[in-house]
Amino acid sequence: MNPTQEIRISDPTLRDGNHAIGHQLSAENIAAYCKAADAAGVPIVEVGHGNGLGASSLQLGEAKTPDHIALATARENMNRSKLGIHVIPGFATIERDLKPALALGVDVVRVASHCSEADICERHIGFSRNEGAEVWGCLMMSHMISPSMLLEQARKLESYGAEGVVFMDSSGHFMPEDVRVRVDTLVNGLGIAVGFHGHNNLGLAIANSVAAADAGATLIDGCARGFGAGAGNTQLEVLVAVFERLKYSTGIDFYKMLDAADLAEQTLMKEIPTIKSVSVVSGMAGVFSGFMKPVTRIAKEFDVDPRDIFFELGRRKIVAGQEDIILEVAKQLAQQPKKGNP
Amino acid sequence: MKQECQERTRHDCMRVLEGRDNALEPLRKSELVVIGGTGFVGTWIAEMVAALNDAYDFGIKLTLISRSADQFANRLPHLANRSDISLIKSDVRQLGQFPANADWVIHAAANPDVRTHASNPLDTASVIVDGTMSVMRTAERLGRLQKLLYLSSGLVCGAQSVTANGIAENEQGAPVPDASFMYPNAKRFAETLCSAARAQSRTPVLVARPFSFIGPYQSLDTPWAQTTFLSDALRGHQIRVKGDGQVVRSYLYGSDAAYWFLRILTAGEVGDVVNVGSPTGITLQDLAKEVAKNFEPSPEIMFNTAPRSTGRSAKLLPDTTHAQNVYGLTVFTPLEEAIKLTALWHRLQNN
Repeated sequence: MNPTQEIRISDPTLRDGNHAIGHQLSAENIAAYCKAADAAGVPIVEVGHGNGLGASSLQLGEAKTPDHIALATARENMNRSKLGIHVIPGFATIERDLKPALALGVDVVRVASHCSEADICERHIGFSRNEGAEVWGCLMMSHMISPSMLLEQARKLESYGAEGVVFMDSSGHFMPEDVRVRVDTLVNGLGIAVGFHGHNNLGLAIANSVAAADAGATLIDGCARGFGAGAGNTQLEVLVAVFERLKYSTGIDFYKMLDAADLAEQTLMKEIPTIKSVSVVSGMAGVFSGFMKPVTRIAKEFDVDPRDIFFELGRRKIVAGQEDIILEVAKQLAQQPKKGNP
Repeated sequence: MKQECQERTRHDCMRVLEGRDNALEPLRKSELVVIGGTGFVGTWIAEMVAALNDAYDFGIKLTLISRSADQFANRLPHLANRSDISLIKSDVRQLGQFPANADWVIHAAANPDVRTHASNPLDTASVIVDGTMSVMRTAERLGRLQKLLYLSSGLVCGAQSVTANGIAENEQGAPVPDASFMYPNAKRFAETLCSAARAQSRTPVLVARPFSFIGPYQSLDTPWAQTTFLSDALRGHQIRVKGDGQVVRSYLYGSDAAYWFLRILTAGEVGDVVNVGSPTGITLQDLAKEVAKNFEPSPEIMFNTAPRSTGRSAKLLPDTTHAQNVYGLTVFTPLEEAIKLTALWHRLQNN
């Protein structure tokens, strides 16, 4: 641990949290939370559909608040905090989505791909960088490749112009040692900053984030009350407290962060994220946390055990965007005798 | 290209040639071919040849071979339309049409864009390795060939040790054998191919190892420090330095580099290896400050994504003792002036 280290917090409550409520955050929700996060001095607040800019659709879920209203609202209500967006090329196109978003005052663009597909990020990173935005590359589902392969992909993002790389534990699968090894590999192999985004399926999001900081990551993601996909994300107000105890500096006002988290609980979420049984299974199986709702629904439909679906999806290495496979797996399982433990 | 920009690049060449043209006498009335001739280096060599022919009556016939010959002709008609410069559109790996009477050949074909190296490492290797093989086979058929200069890379010796002032040509290191380092590994193997062609076919080949350059004709779209800083400043953005700004690099101006290459080509001994670059290092923090000086209002400089430690080589400088002692080559355009000239050229070109 380096007690003098400054940790920059990026808060995707208003983006990852959207997953938990079917992308139904309203402009009022966004305005209120942005004000509170800004007052607390949260460095970056990420806003948008759960799958990022331009992702509102029938397949992924239609957002209640269109991107341009969400971003304009957030911008109006933040003075100190930077406005961030999550961009998955394909869902977000440069002309239709990215250009207008930057014109609305987005400061930080985080261009994301599946961990082994960094190539798709080149144009979006280049465009955002040329427009003067701060650009990070994000590698999702990073448990699916080895640390050395993660470094290869991260180097691609660096070569495209990313100013930092965040690796995402999208299914909450990592143990702290897994995180430490990956941060260590990235810090020693890149010339740019390293960040970590945790999920809490196995109850380790805080521990994993601390491991990341200890190993040299300088940007950590966290959501108020852990509001995010599946079992939720790293719980931000707790993370700020833990970092304060560990003497890491986040620059965030602790009381005001607690106030923002209280506000988030009261106004943003129907229920506080908890680690449901099926989330534990999703974390163990290494399947994207956002699959929880469709898996639960389809399992009920086919009268199969959702845990079996998760383990089979994990065995097949299914990733976000392949939701149609859930149906196929459920169908197959329905034709087989019921299973016990994996 | 704008007239004023043409005049500026011509002036850059004339400034370098003043009192030094004699050293390039072997080029007089000869035929020079540059493969990969429409990139930064090839364009500056074309500018230098045009200056030698116009001002010193050298009578050099220059052929530029490139996959991007059409774009070059559209972009730079003041060079492409000259009667002493010919263009051939060809991939280096399939050199069908080649001037049979070439006296001198410079092989500069490779894509230096780090984004391509990262996304297409196999294609990067193919252009360099298969391309060099193709050039060596072609060279065997050239009856008048005096010398062939291969442009390798300053990265072929791997990372510079922390204590060294610069990487010398006889440095024993090597790049990591990993896809992320395909470009220097392929360049290193291409140097071996040159050596093999010399041993097997008596091809009169020598090697130059370019380090970092700066100047007009360098695309500001490439994510290198010098181009990114200039691009940021020209767009009126803050200049953002990746990391803590303590990485050290050096930069040689385009017209200086062109002269160095022609000098090494004509004066070099077959088999020689020569570093091409500036030995004077600058931190990226100071580079950003130098760039900022040329703009009004002066752009803010940010170090907002500093990592705890940097894994990338903190220093990459050439040891140019050999170039200086054997070829009399020094930096003609100091970096401060190089940045000023580059910023002005881009500003004129964009207005």
